[in-house]
Amino acid sequence: MNSLRYGWRNLWRNTRRTLITLTAVTLSTAILITSYALMDGLLVHAVSSATNLVVGEVQIHAPRYLADRSIYRALADPARILRGAREKKIRAAPRRYGYGLVAVGTKSAGALFWGVDPELERTTFDLAGHMAKGQFLAEMPSRGMILGRKLARSLQAEVGSEIVVVVQAADGSLGNELFTVTGIFKAAGDAIDRNAALIHAADFTELFVSGDRIHEIALNSRGQMSTQDLATLAADLASKEEVKTWQQLLPAVSDMVNLFDVFIWIFGLIFILAAGMGVMNTMLMATYERIPEFGIIKALGATPWRIIRDVATEALALAALATLLGTALGLAGSYYLQEVGLDTSLFAGSYSVGGVAFDPIWRAAIGLKVVLVPVVLMVIISLVASLYPAGLAARLDPVKAIHRP
Amino acid sequence: MKAWVKRLLTAVSMSILWLGLSGVSAPVLAQELSLTPRQILDKVDDLFRGRSSFGLGTMTVTTAHWKRSLKMEFWSKGKDKSLIRILAPKKEKGTATLRSGNDMWNYLPKVKRVIKLPSSMMADSWMGSHFTNDDLVKESRMADDYTFELTFYGEKDSQEIVEVTCRPKPEAAVVWGKVLVTALRKEYLPIFIRYFDEDIRLARTMTFSQVTELGGRRIPSVVTMVPEDKPEESTVIMYEKMDFNIGLDDGFFSLRTLQR
Repeated sequence: MNSLRYGWRNLWRNTRRTLITLTAVTLSTAILITSYALMDGLLVHAVSSATNLVVGEVQIHAPRYLADRSIYRALADPARILRGAREKKIRAAPRRYGYGLVAVGTKSAGALFWGVDPELERTTFDLAGHMAKGQFLAEMPSRGMILGRKLARSLQAEVGSEIVVVVQAADGSLGNELFTVTGIFKAAGDAIDRNAALIHAADFTELFVSGDRIHEIALNSRGQMSTQDLATLAADLASKEEVKTWQQLLPAVSDMVNLFDVFIWIFGLIFILAAGMGVMNTMLMATYERIPEFGIIKALGATPWRIIRDVATEALALAALATLLGTALGLAGSYYLQEVGLDTSLFAGSYSVGGVAFDPIWRAAIGLKVVLVPVVLMVIISLVASLYPAGLAARLDPVKAIHRP
Repeated sequence: MKAWVKRLLTAVSMSILWLGLSGVSAPVLAQELSLTPRQILDKVDDLFRGRSSFGLGTMTVTTAHWKRSLKMEFWSKGKDKSLIRILAPKKEKGTATLRSGNDMWNYLPKVKRVIKLPSSMMADSWMGSHFTNDDLVKESRMADDYTFELTFYGEKDSQEIVEVTCRPKPEAAVVWGKVLVTALRKEYLPIFIRYFDEDIRLARTMTFSQVTELGGRRIPSVVTMVPEDKPEESTVIMYEKMDFNIGLDDGFFSLRTLQR
């Protein structure tokens, strides 16, 4: 305990030197925390862009549904899956799908109709808030339709346009109906942009004479559960069905995230090296400067071990204070970047990877490792950088040490 | 429906005419038959098609999930104009398809709207059948996209037959890798048309049967289309009535008639 008190007192014998070292370590810690949070945010952002908009973390389909998207491959017992998800407090959105033709005036195009429950989509996913124009579907079926961006453009449809719909219904008959465009999505990935036409589940069932067929249940815990745990839960709820994680559904995004992870480690290492060099340099100089002082202490009878211990304590005290300040500063910066974010749209515009649209606002993500890794590294570097010259001094002949310039 | 079957054949024969005129095909086999492949297909085609025609028939579609019959009437003129109107069942009554050249329109009586089929939907099923929208329009394109060759004549399964093979020209953007037309040598009544995909694997077979006198001609009154990958499914068209050379004018094949 004494040595800690001595160490602390020693630190303030040369206030200017200590302040310089303190500033170096504090700033390095803060910069490392902020940049690490920002890079981790890119990963979190990529994953949440991929999952929260519409895909979800896990999807359940009838076996082979994804291979041919036949309207006849419906889930055997969707009610049981939805009930099970509700009991586990996992949000889930059931969807029905069917192909057909949409036409506005003389323009027509093929479309994939989504029969959705507007309320469940709204609570489970971000798609309902992702409108370029107009509004998401009303809770009551009212023959409203939301179109993907490119589909709306190719139909020259606007909010309020009347849409003629022709489909092959599940009973073989020809389903046709008039709908009204209530909204148009922002960029939401190529598949949705090009051919999605969202309608109310009840309108869908009537149009396609599809009864209670449900083709997809998308589960989204918004990160509350790991994807693997959620997939296990889904497999329990729907043992006969096909359970896919977002990594399987969006392999391009999954690959990109893995690549990001590697980049982050590489860049993180470079940052740590750069910051570490700075701190090491400062600590080395600060300790070298004191070699004559150590000589005197040694001449007065201090053992080499005592010198090393004192220096280590000083370094630890300094590093503790500096990383504390650095963490506070770094967290403040990260918090700002988490809440406000960097607007990359100035440089990149809107962009999408692997069919998933990304929000151009780049946000940091604060987590335990984001703080822990820089702090531990900074403490270790400070300690090593001060112990080396101290060890040198401890072994020196006191006379030589005193006369060292 | 039958109208376009005839058209397909016409198209095939028309293209043969093309080749014949340009002197590309001069097969020895054909000389022995005293007819060029084009003329054979022309004969086959002529069976179903006058300068204009009217017909009445039933299309029965059987799939793994449902089976339904549509009663329909149809008119045609030349090789690129046709109109098909559904008479029953009630849900589809009044639904009509107009084809003029490469364009197709559908009239939907329930919503009282006409829609033009986008080119991206041409490969999709027509009214849920095993015929595609493209089947209804492609005959006029076939002339430009395929070459024709008499590949067999003589006895097969105790019938005297002729066989014409249609192959796409190298630069043609077409669905089929090969189309094989088999007809009776005597009356040039078609027996089979077999469609092969790009890998020359059989994709679907159209079979003609029940030769009957309709509109003063002996023609097969039942046409069956069976997809090779789903042999339990089929589309069967039964012709009940045919009239030929009824003197329709071009104005009949208009959006106004479609909506009537």
